[in-house]
Amino acid sequence: MDAILLRLLLVAGLLAVVLAAGWLYRRRDGRVRSDDGARLGGHHLDAVGLDLSDGAAGAVLLGSPTCSPCDSVKRVLGDIEVERQGFRWVYADAADHLGLADEHKVMRVPTLFMVAADGRIMARTSGVPRHDDLRRVLDGGGGLDTAA
Amino acid sequence: MPQNLATDADGRLLIDVRGPRFGAAITTVVLATALVVQGPVGIGLVAWQWVMFAISTFAGLAWSPYGQVFRWVKRRFDLGPPPEVEHEGPPRFAQACGFGVATVALALFVSGFVVAGWIAVGVVLTLSMLLAVTGICVGCELYLVGQRLRARGIGPSDRITADGATTTHGVRDGGAA
Repeated sequence: MDAILLRLLLVAGLLAVVLAAGWLYRRRDGRVRSDDGARLGGHHLDAVGLDLSDGAAGAVLLGSPTCSPCDSVKRVLGDIEVERQGFRWVYADAADHLGLADEHKVMRVPTLFMVAADGRIMARTSGVPRHDDLRRVLDGGGGLDTAA
Repeated sequence: MPQNLATDADGRLLIDVRGPRFGAAITTVVLATALVVQGPVGIGLVAWQWVMFAISTFAGLAWSPYGQVFRWVKRRFDLGPPPEVEHEGPPRFAQACGFGVATVALALFVSGFVVAGWIAVGVVLTLSMLLAVTGICVGCELYLVGQRLRARGIGPSDRITADGATTTHGVRDGGAA
């Protein structure tokens, strides 16, 4: 029947759209973006408990209790922490830090801020970042001793 | 609960991350078939799927029929332990979204707006296809947005004190929205 064939084509077209959308989403997910020189204010760093007073770089991960990709980001950060002396990171529930989330337009969790010692945001990511991308951010950021 | 399922320290259900994607694949086949054949059989399939959404939404994912099928497949074909587990909240909310739009579709069929009803079915089909094919769960992301909006409305009241420090006052789930 003609109508059935047409609807089959419709479903196939839908599948193509879904595949394209998925590809675009995956490409954006976890990609490191610079934040145009934005800074995380000292009060925000205090609130999430990230102490960079010794001049090292760090990271703030915003998540939520039911967010599974957040655990993947924590693993990535844990690996980086082992590799890089001085690097430290904190996890914070986005719902407990709405001021920070509003100010920096955090739309989804996990959102990660890579922060230089002076509070400057070196990079931010939404989703699960790749190890290499974070390493590159830290290499460009300076202020870190690379573990031998 | 039908089986001994894992929970976290707070007693919230933890599920195998592969489960919702498996379920979405079945949903995709059911709704794609419905959309292609249409007629009474098609509407019957949408009604079936509506019941599946309703069970997952109101009884929880532990009772989800497609979840049961997944657990059986997992045992039968020895798929091994979950690569990761997740809280049931976001995927359960996604099922609730599916339930909502499927309800609209059925209401449109009943009121004679057949084409509009199939468009609504197409929306649910698209989102379950997205999860089945790419692993992206739009409903789960919406749950997180919703949680944040709720947190903003009724606490934990997130006040900026005079010195700029953020103080948090408990009641996460307290009060009616």
